[in-house]
Amino acid sequence: MRHFLIVAATLAVVSPRPLAAQAPQLSTRDSALHALNRLAYGPRPGEVDSVVRIGVMRWIDQQLDPDRIDDAALQQREREFKILSYDREDLAQRFRDVQRERQRLQRESSPPDPLSASPRGGTDMRPMREFRELGGELQQLAIVRATLSERQLREVMVDFWTNHFNVFVGKGADRFLLPSYIEETIRPRALARFEDLLIATAESPAMLFYLDNAQSVAPGSSPPFPLFARRRGGQGVRSRPTGINENYARELLELHTLGIDGGYTQQDIIEVARIFTGWSIEPPDRGAGFVFRDWAHDRGTKHVFGLTFHNDGKDEGIRLLKFLANQPATMHHVSAKLCMRFVADDPPDGCIDAAVAAWQHTRGDMRAVLRAIFTSPDFWDARVVRSKVKTPFEFVISAARAISADPDSTPRLAQMVARLGEPLYQQPAPTGYAETEAHWVNSGSLLARMNAAVALAGGRLPGIDANLDAVIPATTDHAQLVDRVDERILGSTMSAHTKSVILAQLGDISDPTQARVLAVGLALGGPDFQKQ
Amino acid sequence: MTISRRVFVRAGGLALVSLGLDPLFLARAAFAKTRRLSPLSPLSASDRPILVCLFQRGAVDGLNMIVPHGDRLYYQERPRIAIPASDVVDLDGHFGLHPSLAPLKSLWDNKSLAVLHGIGSPDSTRSHFDAQDYMESGTPGLKSTGDGWLNRYCEHDREHADTPFRAVAFGPQLPRILAGSAPSLAIDDLQAFGLRVPQEDARDRLTKAFEELYDGAGTGLLASSSREGFEAIQMLKRADPTQYRPAGDVEYPSGRLGRTLLQIAQLIKANVGLEIAFADCTGWDTHVNQGSSEGQLSARLRELGLALSAFTRDLGDGMHNVVVLTMSEFGRTIRENGNSGTDHGHATAMLVMGGPVNGGQVLGRWPGLEIDQRFEARDVAVTTDFRDLFGEILARHLGATDLTPVFPGYAPVASRFPGAIRV
Repeated sequence: MRHFLIVAATLAVVSPRPLAAQAPQLSTRDSALHALNRLAYGPRPGEVDSVVRIGVMRWIDQQLDPDRIDDAALQQREREFKILSYDREDLAQRFRDVQRERQRLQRESSPPDPLSASPRGGTDMRPMREFRELGGELQQLAIVRATLSERQLREVMVDFWTNHFNVFVGKGADRFLLPSYIEETIRPRALARFEDLLIATAESPAMLFYLDNAQSVAPGSSPPFPLFARRRGGQGVRSRPTGINENYARELLELHTLGIDGGYTQQDIIEVARIFTGWSIEPPDRGAGFVFRDWAHDRGTKHVFGLTFHNDGKDEGIRLLKFLANQPATMHHVSAKLCMRFVADDPPDGCIDAAVAAWQHTRGDMRAVLRAIFTSPDFWDARVVRSKVKTPFEFVISAARAISADPDSTPRLAQMVARLGEPLYQQPAPTGYAETEAHWVNSGSLLARMNAAVALAGGRLPGIDANLDAVIPATTDHAQLVDRVDERILGSTMSAHTKSVILAQLGDISDPTQARVLAVGLALGGPDFQKQ
Repeated sequence: MTISRRVFVRAGGLALVSLGLDPLFLARAAFAKTRRLSPLSPLSASDRPILVCLFQRGAVDGLNMIVPHGDRLYYQERPRIAIPASDVVDLDGHFGLHPSLAPLKSLWDNKSLAVLHGIGSPDSTRSHFDAQDYMESGTPGLKSTGDGWLNRYCEHDREHADTPFRAVAFGPQLPRILAGSAPSLAIDDLQAFGLRVPQEDARDRLTKAFEELYDGAGTGLLASSSREGFEAIQMLKRADPTQYRPAGDVEYPSGRLGRTLLQIAQLIKANVGLEIAFADCTGWDTHVNQGSSEGQLSARLRELGLALSAFTRDLGDGMHNVVVLTMSEFGRTIRENGNSGTDHGHATAMLVMGGPVNGGQVLGRWPGLEIDQRFEARDVAVTTDFRDLFGEILARHLGATDLTPVFPGYAPVASRFPGAIRV
């Protein structure tokens, strides 16, 4: 398998093909809609036309160069989010204050149900409220950015990498480490070189804590002074770590780089874990930043993937990450996952090979890799158009965009995404959320989407200001109404079946506002809008 | 991937892995294809074995739930929080129930309640997050398992895959234990299941409209899943949850657990084909002022005991094919801490109750509380791997034929089963 891939990648054409050769079956409007569905979270009213005006390929190139896109409106909205004004040290301080306050309250009053620190289903302790509000802000910020940003592709890629390098916000210190992970580790590198992003995640306190590498020390090593004081309460007893922890090493190979069939062994995992011994985090009162602990580093020689690592401190890990980032298995694994996101649940080999070739050519420049995918014939194949089921996040954001709705700064829309099955930053497993429909489509979640759609259409969805009058004016002419709904919400792709069912349902409704609620609700909650 | 290759792959189960496809997608697609959507006959439904799982999130103190009152060290290590022997509801001379669990004593006496002590995970983690994750994925020590063991059971034993209510989690989201490719429902509240429109005729009309819309969606997962959803709505409508009254004068305790168990009883009696029900039950992380016969833990146990007792009385003879299992991610320290509480430990105790249960006994091997009998010289040692109990219940109660895919890399064997289910 791996040999085949290397050969295929070498043979693949590297230079991007001209657009004319790629999309014979799609009209220009269809191409614009397709690009907006995949590179963005769906079109806002009028956006299909504006992409047609700009030219689809030119619009794609603009999206690949986000810093040159004006995003002033979003930047204005971002000022409402307090969390952006706190750095990691501030949040660490707040987290410790909250914990102290909680312990004090417990000692004093012995409430009936203190410290239910279970990650799922905790209690509503008053002192935690402010900190939790910040957590809600973090989620809602993702909603607001995805909905309003003009730099849509970058937001899509932030979501992709946040998921690829998943960190669960509910695990201990990650409650306060996640904001800086998103802002400082992922966002600046969403369209950067893969290698840089990989190194940044490896050094991030959030990942070091989440996959336990902060606790991984060479067997027999001990700190020059007691760092890990024995402690009671909180997330359990912290006795001093006494050996290597393989978790990060395993997920680095299996999920972040080579992939599960990447051809490594348990011994490779151990060697990798040895290389990363000493990569750790400062205590919260010193800012919880990255630190390389020399005393904890395994000074022995390591052999892995045909490489030899003599004692070279932190540089061993950097060298290994650079090696892993550009292995054929990594290029294929990550390219295939990108194609799963952008092209199809079962991505065709052609677009994967194109992405791998661009990766080789540019040493993993994500803009080149993405461009190769967007210029591959597979991306424009009529069979993949509107074939992918939206994730709950994509569903909610695209619905908000379709009716030009403005999410407020409360976490209520994020809570809706959670109810639909995708609570942001709350996937406990390091796999992240799945890209494929089997994980999102089930009877309960579909009913929940229908309810959300009807609530949104009726202006009853909390956390969002839907100004339907500006987008789909109420009218007693049902045919006109359905045409407008089709154009605005489905980019004029409504199936004949959907159209006839909605028209039949409108039958005897004379109130224009009621008719609009029903038509918009059925369109957003129906099968056509679940796909992109 | 072209359409023809997809079909080819679906036909050959082995081929799909080697092609590097997402097996879950294919499994679900194949699943959707083979499902029968006919309503159940009441007879077949009432004979199904049913498993109800309660997850005590936060790590319950097994030693104060099922008290080793015959052990002097228990009292020595817990001067402030031990349950006095005079308060313990004795079971077998050595172990007894916390007094708040007294409502369960009659189940012990009629041999439909068994206790497992010294049960837990082979992984030594004391993190709630990791330990819950391992108990739900069924793969201790392995973090990247994407699905849960209850879902894998559903995936591989498809005999009962003909109802949308086969596996139901009560709560706003599907828990890790039921995550995966086999369809399962998360229901927050039975009465609110379906489309949320206050007026019944408007609701029926909207339901019908969406049903028609999705009927035209072809044959994919969207179509089959929506069909399941509308079928579930119809089945529930016939069962009419708003009219439910528990049997006789049974009263469930107020609070989330009581309401959830009432709704599970309701689903069981409605004969909608429920095989697996799952619910959370929180508030067990008693680091501070845990209490003894009274207090914090006592209050949680009282709610648990009353709710379980109400559930068994409500179902009455219906319990003949129901097994209720409690689980918790780990136990707590043997020695009480400086705040009259307990910290994160290792093994804990689990309850198994119901008609098929080999009750009236404390199962498993009691590891003892002496220092050299403890795990890391401080916690109750694990003498039963939780997979042996879960595996036994799947095999002997639900009739699972192959546990290998349910617990990959472990595969419980009958010789290690603790004997919780009558053979």
